[in-house]
Amino acid sequence: MSIYNAPLKDMHFALHEIAGLDEVLALPGFEEITAELVDAVLAEAGRFAREVLDPLNRSGDTTGAKLDNGVVTAPAGYREAYAKFIEAGWNGLGADPRYGGQGLPHTVAMAVQEIWNSANMSFCLAPMLTSGVLEALRHHASPEQLEVFVPKLTAGEWSGTMNLTEPQAGSDLSAVRTQAVPQGGHYLLRGTKIFITWGEHDMSENIVHLVLARTPDAPEGVKGISLFIVPKFVPNADGSVGERNDVKCVSIERKMGIHASPTCVLSYGEGKGAIGYLVGEENRGLEYMFTMMNHARLGVGIEGIGLAERAYQHALDYARTRVQGREIGQRSGDRVTIIHHPDVKRMLLSMKAQVEAMRALAYTAGAALDKARRHPDPVEKRRSQALVDLLTPIVKGWCTEQGVEVASTGMQVHGGMGFVEETGAAQYLRDARITTIYEGTTGIQANDLVGRKVAFEKGATAMTLIEEMRALDAPLAALGADFNAARSNFTAAIDSLEAATLWVVDTSPVAPNAVAAVAVPYLKLFGAVAGGWVMARSAIVARAQCEDPQSDREFLTAKMATARFYAEHILPQARAHADTVITGSSSVLALDEAQF
Amino acid sequence: MAVLVLAEHDGKQLKPGVTNLLTAAAKLGDVTVLVAGTQASEAAQAAAKVAGVKKVLLTEAPIYEGSAAENLAALVLTIAEQYSHILGPASAYGKNVLPRVAASLDVQQISEISAVESADTFVRPTYAGNAMATVQSSDRIKVITVRATAFDPAGEQAAAPVENLAPGPDLGLTQFKGAELSKSERPELTAARIIVSGGRGMGSAENFKLIEALADKLGAAVGASRAAVDSGFMPNEYQVGQTGKIVAPELYIAIGISGAIQHLAGMKDSKVIVAINKDAEAPIFSVASYWLVDDLFKAVPELTQELSA
Amino acid sequence: MKVLVTVKRVIDPYVKVRVKSDGSGVETANIKMTMNPFCEIAVEQAVRMKEAGVVTEIVVVSVGAMQSQETLRTAMAMGADRGILVDAGVDIEPLAVAKLLKAIIQKENPQLVITGKQAIDDDSNQTGQMISALMGWPQATFISNITVNGDTADVTREIDGGLEKLTIKLPAVVTSDLRLNEPRYVTLPNIMKAKKKPMEVIKPDALGVDVTPRLKTLKVQEPPSRSAGVKVADVKELVAKLRNEARVI
Repeated sequence: MSIYNAPLKDMHFALHEIAGLDEVLALPGFEEITAELVDAVLAEAGRFAREVLDPLNRSGDTTGAKLDNGVVTAPAGYREAYAKFIEAGWNGLGADPRYGGQGLPHTVAMAVQEIWNSANMSFCLAPMLTSGVLEALRHHASPEQLEVFVPKLTAGEWSGTMNLTEPQAGSDLSAVRTQAVPQGGHYLLRGTKIFITWGEHDMSENIVHLVLARTPDAPEGVKGISLFIVPKFVPNADGSVGERNDVKCVSIERKMGIHASPTCVLSYGEGKGAIGYLVGEENRGLEYMFTMMNHARLGVGIEGIGLAERAYQHALDYARTRVQGREIGQRSGDRVTIIHHPDVKRMLLSMKAQVEAMRALAYTAGAALDKARRHPDPVEKRRSQALVDLLTPIVKGWCTEQGVEVASTGMQVHGGMGFVEETGAAQYLRDARITTIYEGTTGIQANDLVGRKVAFEKGATAMTLIEEMRALDAPLAALGADFNAARSNFTAAIDSLEAATLWVVDTSPVAPNAVAAVAVPYLKLFGAVAGGWVMARSAIVARAQCEDPQSDREFLTAKMATARFYAEHILPQARAHADTVITGSSSVLALDEAQF
Repeated sequence: MAVLVLAEHDGKQLKPGVTNLLTAAAKLGDVTVLVAGTQASEAAQAAAKVAGVKKVLLTEAPIYEGSAAENLAALVLTIAEQYSHILGPASAYGKNVLPRVAASLDVQQISEISAVESADTFVRPTYAGNAMATVQSSDRIKVITVRATAFDPAGEQAAAPVENLAPGPDLGLTQFKGAELSKSERPELTAARIIVSGGRGMGSAENFKLIEALADKLGAAVGASRAAVDSGFMPNEYQVGQTGKIVAPELYIAIGISGAIQHLAGMKDSKVIVAINKDAEAPIFSVASYWLVDDLFKAVPELTQELSA
Repeated sequence: MKVLVTVKRVIDPYVKVRVKSDGSGVETANIKMTMNPFCEIAVEQAVRMKEAGVVTEIVVVSVGAMQSQETLRTAMAMGADRGILVDAGVDIEPLAVAKLLKAIIQKENPQLVITGKQAIDDDSNQTGQMISALMGWPQATFISNITVNGDTADVTREIDGGLEKLTIKLPAVVTSDLRLNEPRYVTLPNIMKAKKKPMEVIKPDALGVDVTPRLKTLKVQEPPSRSAGVKVADVKELVAKLRNEARVI
């Protein structure tokens, strides 16, 4: 088993040189946060992840969470790890200081989340959902609700869950049937919710469920869904936990991955009805859920990155120790570790390049989210909002799809040993597989991208970004002959993205079906080119930094080579995706149902 | 060259490792051994019979009860100027006293040497043995601790003379309140000739009984990897590794230990390493003298059984 | 009472050390560094004593390069009150460190000095003992327990084969062993608070200490690699090899 070490150097580079952390730290509200502080936070998070969370990842996968008579028990060691996690204050990292949070920027919170996800994705789903609940409550809860729930959730003494899905209402939430009937100052809820991550467990004192439900005279469809707080234990007036609410876990799913994290079926109101408190106004529940969507979707994108990084470290460790065969062309002499074989190097570099591209892109989206929230200049604020809106489905969709691919490559590096569970490579692939599905499948992300994010504004933000990409041509040219292929590939990839974007903008009004049919290839195209954009910037910065004799040349020259690899091995896919987008929709729609 | 060796003893006998230390000392010149304690004459007689020893100094006084670092250092200082080298074992005893001597003489001690290159040049492991440094001292007196496992034990000789040395000053800084020596039948980790260690592969604290049974059969000490300690299978004091104990027994048997770098750092100087692991790719095999790919729950009881035969 | 704790910045124990190809030392540039694990235990002990009301102030001192300020910040995030860095570069020997610390101790007048028993980089295991010798103070090395009673302290030391109990007069120097405590993980709020705690940087010259090295490192090499081992088929073969070939049982 390899040991997880947070990639602090690359995180630092991505945060400072690509995402523009300095600008973020200059925003109002971050006066107390310095670059040194961020470094210290990441270093300590890395240590906690390495020493506490990572060692539980394997055992949690093997034993899984257990359900016994409505009570869910986390795998051995998780309860203690959670206690340490909240005691160290990690739960409130990005939360509002007024309620005990530390108020660090999203950009930094994302980097820390990447660390948790690398070490133990199952575990960190619990705090991630809590932070999602906090985000929703922050915007829409009443002052009384804030007082009762937010400090405990911020501290992590209570954890949070999201209850959207029902057996008949998956990606289509308009079909939600759970009923909420007013009763005095609260509501009584009845219904069944499925796929509730950490919906019941023994790590925290109380669990706060955010539940989508319908009031008796609500309109049909998405306009008739309200949002409720349903605590596992109803809080007393003094904030302590009181009576057990009428919500119970009736089963937990048997899943392909994230075994340590219980995925619960929750039954509300089998007895007298589950006490729930309305958040905001009736019938606006879905709208409220949408306010936290960028946040939550970026969070899942980060899961893909975290797992990809971990799979890379695991494969790298294996490739450095596994001895097999001789150097190509050598008939005698010592056998070598497999990292000496060119194809293994290629696989490792493809993992490294994709991870670094995804990381830089995701942090860039995080920085845009911070600026959209806090920038004093309204123009910059709007521009940042548009950028984060555009990048969110890409970070979610692309980084999770690539996460699966990277984890799969990680298994490939192990050869047959990777297919065997003992080496641990398989777990990263199994865990990664959910990330392209939940919080909106890749298909849903792609539809969001082509519809709301590109076609709706006639490609304005996308074209602005494309112009920014084109502006890198001169500095790339200055990198010299080594970068000739990379530079021309980048230009070709931008051309592909531009052509496909214009096609999406032109086609959407007349044939939205055709656009939807190739939305995923478009998302992959955008992801690949956006990754090329941040890697090109990385190469330019790295070359400049190399001029300083004190610089870390080993890291910087590797960064330049990795950027070249990305441009030479990954960017050429852009052309293929663009061709599919522009020419491939009619074949998708050619068959009718019976012909399949 | 006149060499003074501070000998560790239990009153009656020299501690294991002192004869190895005397091998290192003999390379540097004529060896005088200082044996000091509340009662130390038997140990002094034993020291006189170690090959290469020219003279033994015996100091007996109540002020040397226990480890008595301050008073022992003060005693050494009464005669230190007569010697070119002052050596002691790199054990808890020697590490306690000699830096005090060195600082008082205003010299930079050379810790835990593993080879003598010349009168002023020595090899010592740093970074838990991952880097071997060759250092040359410019100090007028060389104060040195010696890693016993790096030298062969010295043989025997006809007894050298034993002389009494008057006690040094009583500084009265510390009071000895007693010692609790380990009652375990098993040898102590850092002094054991054989160590049997278990890792995360043991699966539980209960399963460490398999390790203990094998250790008892071999008269071995029990160790554990950091992963086993982290998993709560064994207390921290059993930890072998860079931040645990550094060991170099004649035989180290690693069971269910994958072989993380920091564990290897703690045991890779062992003379013979045996690894038993069901993972054919475990990194521990890269340092093993003999390795067996097998389920430990089958192989370990079998091994214990086989050794009884 | 006031406690002074020393901390050293070392290569992270999880990093595989690489010997420089020219044999002049090990690679330290751009390598992940962290607080020496035994120093962490020393800081933790001081913080626990403060939490127990025995200690009123914890001063943490490092001798090393300017980056050691990060290590001091970590110690302050654990609970130390203020930091002092003696900016003396990296290749400084224990004797010189002890002399610099003596000068600081004479300024600060702590009742107790806690150091780690050794640093995991040069593995010298000298500094605590040297400080106490230079100060003429009692010492208790490798401690696994300490209780302060007025102007003395009862300590338990880890010795080969067991434990030793001593009563030492204060002021004194003690050095921490592994079992003294299990250091806490620093909390996020405390990382934030630590950056506001006072930090002083002093040059060795200002302390009037000559730090000229006494040892010259002639070369640094990788340890000899082990010869390739033998895979055995079963337990019987293993026992036979151990008995007849290795002759260790």
